[in-house]
Amino acid sequence: MSLPQKKEFRIPQWLMLLIVILAISVITAIINPRFLRINNIMNIFEQISVLGLVAVGATIIIISGNFDISVGAIIGLSACVMAICINAGMNSFLASLVCILISMSCTTLNGVLSILFKAPSFIISLATTSIFTGLGLFITKGVIRTVYGQFDFLSKTRLFGFIPLLFIICLLGFVMVHLLLKYTQVGRRLFAFGCNTRAAYLAGIDIVKNKLLFFAMNGFFVGLAAILLLSRVGAALPSTGSGYELEAMGAVVIGGVSINGGKGDVIGPFFGVLLMGLISNVLNILGVNPYLQEIASGIIIILSLGISVLRTKKD
Amino acid sequence: MEEILRLENINKSYSGVKVLYDVNLSLSKGEVLCLAGENGAGKSTLIKILSGAETPDSGKLTIKGHEYQKMQPAEAINLGIVTIYQDVDLVDTLTVADNIFLNNEIMKHGFIVDKDEEIKEAQRLLDSLNMKIKADSLVSDLSPGQKQNLQIAKAMHKKAEILILDEPTASLGEEETEALIRLVEKLRNDGLGIIYISHYLDEIFTLGDTVLVLKDGHHVVTRKISETTEDQLIHDMVGRDTSAMYKRKAYYSRGDNALKVSHLSRGKRVHDITLSVSRGEILGIGGLVGAGRTEFVRLIAGADKAESGTVELDGRDITPSDPKDGIRNGISYISEDRKGEGLFLLRSAKENIGIIKNNRKKIALNLPEEDKDVREQIEKLSIKVFSPEQEVSTLSGGNQQKVAVSRWLLANGDIFIFDEPSKGVDIGAREEIYQIMENLAEQGKIILMVSSTMTELISMSDRIAVMREGELVTVVDRKDFSEDYLLKLYIQSNKEEERK
Repeated sequence: MSLPQKKEFRIPQWLMLLIVILAISVITAIINPRFLRINNIMNIFEQISVLGLVAVGATIIIISGNFDISVGAIIGLSACVMAICINAGMNSFLASLVCILISMSCTTLNGVLSILFKAPSFIISLATTSIFTGLGLFITKGVIRTVYGQFDFLSKTRLFGFIPLLFIICLLGFVMVHLLLKYTQVGRRLFAFGCNTRAAYLAGIDIVKNKLLFFAMNGFFVGLAAILLLSRVGAALPSTGSGYELEAMGAVVIGGVSINGGKGDVIGPFFGVLLMGLISNVLNILGVNPYLQEIASGIIIILSLGISVLRTKKD
Repeated sequence: MEEILRLENINKSYSGVKVLYDVNLSLSKGEVLCLAGENGAGKSTLIKILSGAETPDSGKLTIKGHEYQKMQPAEAINLGIVTIYQDVDLVDTLTVADNIFLNNEIMKHGFIVDKDEEIKEAQRLLDSLNMKIKADSLVSDLSPGQKQNLQIAKAMHKKAEILILDEPTASLGEEETEALIRLVEKLRNDGLGIIYISHYLDEIFTLGDTVLVLKDGHHVVTRKISETTEDQLIHDMVGRDTSAMYKRKAYYSRGDNALKVSHLSRGKRVHDITLSVSRGEILGIGGLVGAGRTEFVRLIAGADKAESGTVELDGRDITPSDPKDGIRNGISYISEDRKGEGLFLLRSAKENIGIIKNNRKKIALNLPEEDKDVREQIEKLSIKVFSPEQEVSTLSGGNQQKVAVSRWLLANGDIFIFDEPSKGVDIGAREEIYQIMENLAEQGKIILMVSSTMTELISMSDRIAVMREGELVTVVDRKDFSEDYLLKLYIQSNKEEERK
């Protein structure tokens, strides 16, 4: 009979990321002390809040063993509709609700189609990406929708005069999902579902209902991200959110969530998002050519995938 | 006759469980060697070693006079060893000729496939083997028997000298079986060495020159067919030391026939099964692999939906529509495929054990209660983990099985269905799992146990239901338990019965 092996100590992914973040910060601060100004640091926090919320949703979806790459298009669509609502004189709270509702409907539709056609959600969301973008173009007639000065209290508000409210909202999103994963039955179902869907089914977990729930939850956070984005930018285009889906997936995977599903947490993705925001800030501060910055973010995602593959191999 | 294949002292184990002990085998040109033995006797492992799919732990392979420690699959094919497995591996969307020449196409002008030439060549080959197959027809249009034939034709095209057939008639009808047997006889007369695996004794006696009997991985005996009888062979296959058996303390059947299954059917694999089980009873379900046993119990658990028939508990209809429904009615199904559909391998022992009970919670988990429950189970079943947080994939087979069982113990249902409870489980843990089953029976639970191991069935069951080809043959009472009798029930073909 084999005895249990000795537990090997493995540095948690978030700690690794934190070390990397601190190292980059120290080096940058030595080169350019301006980096350490409170204003700059709060800027980073504000900048990552939209990406952060998208990553929160992506964490749920990826743990469930799915992908939703249409979230960029959904951000564009729901932000445009929200801008139109505000322009039409709708109260901004109501308009925010509309935004979240649209986003949740879109992601849930991805889930429904994936179940209906027994197709991987990756492929389904690839197709719906162009549907959502097209819908956005149709509604806006391709014209930028501006809400300058009508919906900026979110982005202008700073707690204690310096902490951006946007970051607080993003942080709340992370806390919510952290609690969900650790302390609720839905969290357990999520891991079970992502780890072994057939076993989850035999354990009495309703596969259809739960899959839709996971997609709807993703939609909630994506909708929230769209609201924050509109508040920050003050204008929306159907293409406003494009690119967020991949960046968020990158952050989640850097954060140690297995792309095969069933494993991970939301603390790692938080530091993944922070790392991405930090790197783009640092590249700016160091005056790196913006085109090269794009290349850098791609390289980071590839590196993170490499790490993820190595980790799963070790298991 | 000239010897072309010799195995000496082959040993093989999978993750610590030994499946072959010092097996010897010798095959000559123009000989049909039959491999016989119960499910799990090691036949499949042996042919996997021959075809290069598995590496033996120790032992010697001698092929046409050359010695090998191990082989790659491609090497085996180059040496002329071709294995034809039960699940046909042909490309359905290509033609017969395409399949024969797959990866070995006839080219013209160096890079274009010469279809006409291929079809001509293939037809010549098929005709020479007396196969009634058109070389230009699509494989998807062929019958199962024709596909089997095509596989053999493919092997002949590869210049096979040693042909290994793994239960080739399992999915064939009577006529096709006869045609296949004639074909094998022809190939033998052409000088091929043939290893033939079959559960059907009549085939072994029609075709075989020699028969090698395996039992629990041990090489029991090699006999000349002309010098043996069916009864002798059955005895070779099952006779064993009975001291290895689990001894039940008592039998607890309350005789209330609480669980009634009536006319349960689904597709071809489960046909019109009616039986009942009492509280405190362990009903064993025996039969050959593929007899429909797993398919049958899955219907009771709701893992698959029955097309017709009912399941009743105490007169109440509980025919489940899905597993969730089954669980609500107290049905626990411990699947045979532990890794594929039982455990969440990447998750902790705690989450795996708590999953069923937690699923009843509405929103928040009760973590302290879960912790207490899980620790209790770990202690009660002596599951060897260093902490409840340990990932299940790092546990041994026996401990994994205990984890899989304990989640259902925690859920505390009325009906427990064990599908191959000791599969991949080491001997020590096996004993403990039997103990758990007996305890459940003592508590008055209803227990169904699918098993391919004779000793397990005989030592654990109150009664044994025997299935064959999707049908219930009979339910055997404890006083009639004997391995010879059960095996006879398993393998007696329907054709034979009709003759009687």
